[in-house]
Amino acid sequence: MADSALYQQVVLEHYRHPHNRGSLDACTHAAEGANPLCGDRLRIELVVDDERIGALRFNGEACAIATATMSMLGELVRGQSRESIAGMADRFARLVESGDEDRTLGALNAMRELQRYASRRKCALLPWATLRAALAGEAHTTTEAESA
Amino acid sequence: MNALHESVEAFDVDSVRADFPLLERSVHDKPLIYFDNANTSQKPASVIEAVDHFYRDTNANVARAVHQLGEEATAAYEATRDKLARLLNASSRDEVVLTSGTTQAINLVAYSYLQPRLQAGDEVVVTTMEHHANIVPWQLMCERAGAKLKVAPISERGELIVERFIELLTPKVKLAAVTHVSNVLGTINPIAELARETRKRGIPLLVDGSQAVPHLKVDVRALGCDFYTVTGHKMYGPTGTGALWARKELLRDMPPFFGGGEMIREVRFEGTTFADPPHRFEAGTPNIAGFVGLGAAIEYVQALGHARMGAYEQDLLEHATRELKAIPGLRIFGEAAHKVPVISFLIDGAHAHDLATLLDHEGIAVRSGHHCAHPLMQFYGVPATLRASLAFYNTHAEIDRFIAAILKVRTLLG
Repeated sequence: MADSALYQQVVLEHYRHPHNRGSLDACTHAAEGANPLCGDRLRIELVVDDERIGALRFNGEACAIATATMSMLGELVRGQSRESIAGMADRFARLVESGDEDRTLGALNAMRELQRYASRRKCALLPWATLRAALAGEAHTTTEAESA
Repeated sequence: MNALHESVEAFDVDSVRADFPLLERSVHDKPLIYFDNANTSQKPASVIEAVDHFYRDTNANVARAVHQLGEEATAAYEATRDKLARLLNASSRDEVVLTSGTTQAINLVAYSYLQPRLQAGDEVVVTTMEHHANIVPWQLMCERAGAKLKVAPISERGELIVERFIELLTPKVKLAAVTHVSNVLGTINPIAELARETRKRGIPLLVDGSQAVPHLKVDVRALGCDFYTVTGHKMYGPTGTGALWARKELLRDMPPFFGGGEMIREVRFEGTTFADPPHRFEAGTPNIAGFVGLGAAIEYVQALGHARMGAYEQDLLEHATRELKAIPGLRIFGEAAHKVPVISFLIDGAHAHDLATLLDHEGIAVRSGHHCAHPLMQFYGVPATLRASLAFYNTHAEIDRFIAAILKVRTLLG
């Protein structure tokens, strides 16, 4: 839909055909991120080699925004150190809030549209939170702090 | 032509829509289709003007000023109590406590009526389809007292299983709390039938009327319940208004919930004597302008006529249900025989929040999520649904646009 910038073609492509979907035969780190109120659930598996991400796979069911973000970030984080990933996650959080372009984040700039959708930002933040949880050795995380 | 069809045709939706200024606006450059009425309804100009007029011409505090403005403000505020009493067919205006909405009304009953009576081993009965507002206050009371919350189940169609409800009405039950209309399923519960059973056993029945009053003619005496709650902002009135109706003899024995001004007879440091109901439960300065607006909302709906409004809404419900069911992979949650125009649904392979955001781009406001009814979501085994909730100002043409938009966005996500 040309008039829906959030659901632009690149986002829908990543949603329909996400990169890195699957699981690893052997992983060094893993975590599950879940937003139970929305129904989003992602599991990330990693091989961390010499303090850098070697391989990454994910599975689970999530909305288009969470799935596309997951797919896009995989490309970006491979070969990166923990510190560098922490920096990217913080820059991504700023990007979805401010809507300002960040060239270091590549395709993820599609999520700048979330500046106008505060209620959907937690969807895009879930993959990042899950990745950080995996690296920190935490089994579970969520980006839902909803009042209901 | 039968009487029903005549009344449907007599309903002039175009002129009704002209009474609601907000319905004229666009969203994302598309004409707004507001299908989120169970969340909050829009307000007719007469309500907006009543609030505006109150602040411009009448503003003063109630029940404590002898000057002219105070008299006028008090009269305007108290007039809404009379209108609510007539709307609900209460036997007396003193049975109507003005509250901020249903949540406060239920909490008032929980703390003031139930808490002093509830003991370890006692039970409170609710149903699977309750809103959190009609679960959590009872849960809090039960936890404190060591009592048990029992849940009457529903069928897959979203109807309360009445026999199972009756089975739960043991001598240990100190209160039963049931919604009149489900905010998720649209189901209209058979309150009169349930009330006959609770009365037989001397169990007070609280009915959450939040979703019912916007659609149905409610007669608390005909229903035979003991407590009935009202939410102003869902019945075309301002936010922060509502009411608790309760039988006079129940209110008379209830201690105050909040302490403060207006609810007292005499205050001494040795002890305070309290006002009679309903003012005993109305401590502090209330949302006076809001209640003046609520009075205008009640007048608006009564002038429109519940029968005509209801027949038209049933027509919308039937149309929307038929069209939605024709969409492959679409599942409707709640197919009760008696419903208001509230339809929850999901589409295979499409996430509720994605659909809601994409429909918003088409100018269509629906709610996605759990609708403050986690236990009901757990019953159906889904985290969230989409909910289209209609009002008498919605149109058949809007339903057609809504269906076309669903087909469009589903293709996008598929």
